[in-house]
Amino acid sequence: MAIPIESSPPPGWDREGIDGLLGLFPPGRLSEIVGPRSSGGSSLLLALIARITTSDSGGGSGGGGQVAFVDGMDALDPASAASAGVDLSALLWVKCGGRLRTALSAADLLARCPGFSLIVLDLDELGPIPASAQMRLQRAVEGGDTALVVRSARHREGSPASLVVATRRLAPRWMGLRPLTRLAGLRTEVSIARSRLHTLSCLGRGQGEESWTLDWTL
Amino acid sequence: MTRIACVLTTTGAATEPSAQSALLEVALAHSPRVEDAGAGRLYLDASGLQGLFGDEPRLAARLHRAAAAAGWPARVGIAGSRLAALAAAHMGPGATVVEPDGDAAYLAVAPLSLLDLSEELTARLSRWGLRTLGELVSLPTAGLFERLGGEGVWLQRLARGDDPRPLASWKPALLFEESAECEWGAETLAPVVERLGELAARVCERLGERGLAADGFEWVCRLDGARVHDGALAPAVPMTDGAAVAGLLRLALEARPPRGIVRALTLRARPVRITATQESLTDRSRPSPRLLAATLNRLVALVGADGIGAPALLDSHRPDAVGLGAYAPPLSFSPPSPLRGDRILALRRLRPPAPAAVTLASGRPVALRSSRLAGRIVAGVGPWRSSGEWWSQHPWLQDEWDVELADGTLCRLAHDGSAWHLAGIYD
Repeated sequence: MAIPIESSPPPGWDREGIDGLLGLFPPGRLSEIVGPRSSGGSSLLLALIARITTSDSGGGSGGGGQVAFVDGMDALDPASAASAGVDLSALLWVKCGGRLRTALSAADLLARCPGFSLIVLDLDELGPIPASAQMRLQRAVEGGDTALVVRSARHREGSPASLVVATRRLAPRWMGLRPLTRLAGLRTEVSIARSRLHTLSCLGRGQGEESWTLDWTL
Repeated sequence: MTRIACVLTTTGAATEPSAQSALLEVALAHSPRVEDAGAGRLYLDASGLQGLFGDEPRLAARLHRAAAAAGWPARVGIAGSRLAALAAAHMGPGATVVEPDGDAAYLAVAPLSLLDLSEELTARLSRWGLRTLGELVSLPTAGLFERLGGEGVWLQRLARGDDPRPLASWKPALLFEESAECEWGAETLAPVVERLGELAARVCERLGERGLAADGFEWVCRLDGARVHDGALAPAVPMTDGAAVAGLLRLALEARPPRGIVRALTLRARPVRITATQESLTDRSRPSPRLLAATLNRLVALVGADGIGAPALLDSHRPDAVGLGAYAPPLSFSPPSPLRGDRILALRRLRPPAPAAVTLASGRPVALRSSRLAGRIVAGVGPWRSSGEWWSQHPWLQDEWDVELADGTLCRLAHDGSAWHLAGIYD
């Protein structure tokens, strides 16, 4: 059983910003990132993977972790991932070709192979997955050090996820006046739709304040 | 006192690998230190062998007979240095021994060609009128150094029979192979898997005794009717665990079972030496090699070999130029690289790009219709034009547009000169 240890964050760690948000995804639990198209869910996912694979900025743990990315729709763009800071050599990419059952089987196999710091099940519009499958995945990672994050467009009631993060599109950012010259990024809002964790209070946020406004750049 | 024997093939067998390996086996049966000089020539340490084979003439004669018995007649020379032994083998009748301390006198009449000189140096020495090693020795060392540098002085030392280099020991390649016969023939997979598991345990035990691991396994099943079913397995990490290897072999055989009654089995391992490393206390955990290898094999069976690996960016400007490399987590601790990324807006690729119908107004897209997305375009920038590989068989050309649909979706459209595609969705 992983025991969370409270320690001083490293210099430059933005406790109330994205670092605090990414630190919420608990090891040994199932978490979800839900949100429609162009709401920043995949960007948030890449930021989480980058944090785990490359840096020790995650609060004192050294060495990059290994991440398994079960790609339900074969949608991962490695160029975006590399730009986001993901160490591609630490990433195991499993392409499932749009087959939900294959993606679930792959995630189940990986969840039973301890040692990965993070397993991502990116389903997008293939999801949400049946609650029974979610329960099976939750049981597989329970008590270990692996965080399991499911990315889907919609949230299913009855999910055993310990943390559900919802993303919402606010506005794109364009450069130039009319005519526009370039897409500069996207502003999104991330909120905690549901949490069974006790770490939110550590971030100095009270009930109803669990939301972050994030600017993603292109 | 150093004594070296040279075995030199007499026929045109110098380029035959089988001749060389046969002669190496002959030499290894007589001396523990053998040097493979290549091209039908080898040297062996002849010191201290009197107790085993008698004096040197007897040893030379014995080597001469043994080479002939192996099917590759050879001449043998024994002397105090490599070059003198080679000269004795080259110039002698069959088995020649140069008396101790007689190397210089024996080499004096030997031809320069024994030195294996480059064409340029051979021509140069020829222009100087040198034909024998004795003539090279008679040259003043200082003058030779001025003209040929250190190489000239070294050649002169060799020509005197002064060669301080020890023999570079040749060792036969280790073969980790085990075979078993199925006396009654195995008609189902279970006994085949069981026998292969036994072979894997024996091979892994032998590997472990030598501190080695295997990064590849090959098996051959001999079937009825002189047919053969073979296959190979490359675990994600080098392995020495017989049970884990047996599990991988079972998965591989289940994926591609032999079609017929199996009469005999052979399992061969490719040995590698792995360096023991110490894990860091602060390092993040990594999957155990055994479990990872089994998991990767199951995933390959699930999604196919081309659907799993570590993503790799290809050295190309072609859109979506990515490949899949072998996923191999490092076995040793490596310091973490600093987080260099920023909050990057991710693009979700559509593979293959979805064909799209795009309505244009004044050359700009104003509406999109595809199987994945449809709607009015409220904002857009482009075209970002790119092209490449026009010099190859597969040139490409693409105009890209970043557009926002009325429902707020941000996506990337691409036009390849003939048709529109939905390349990806920003998320």
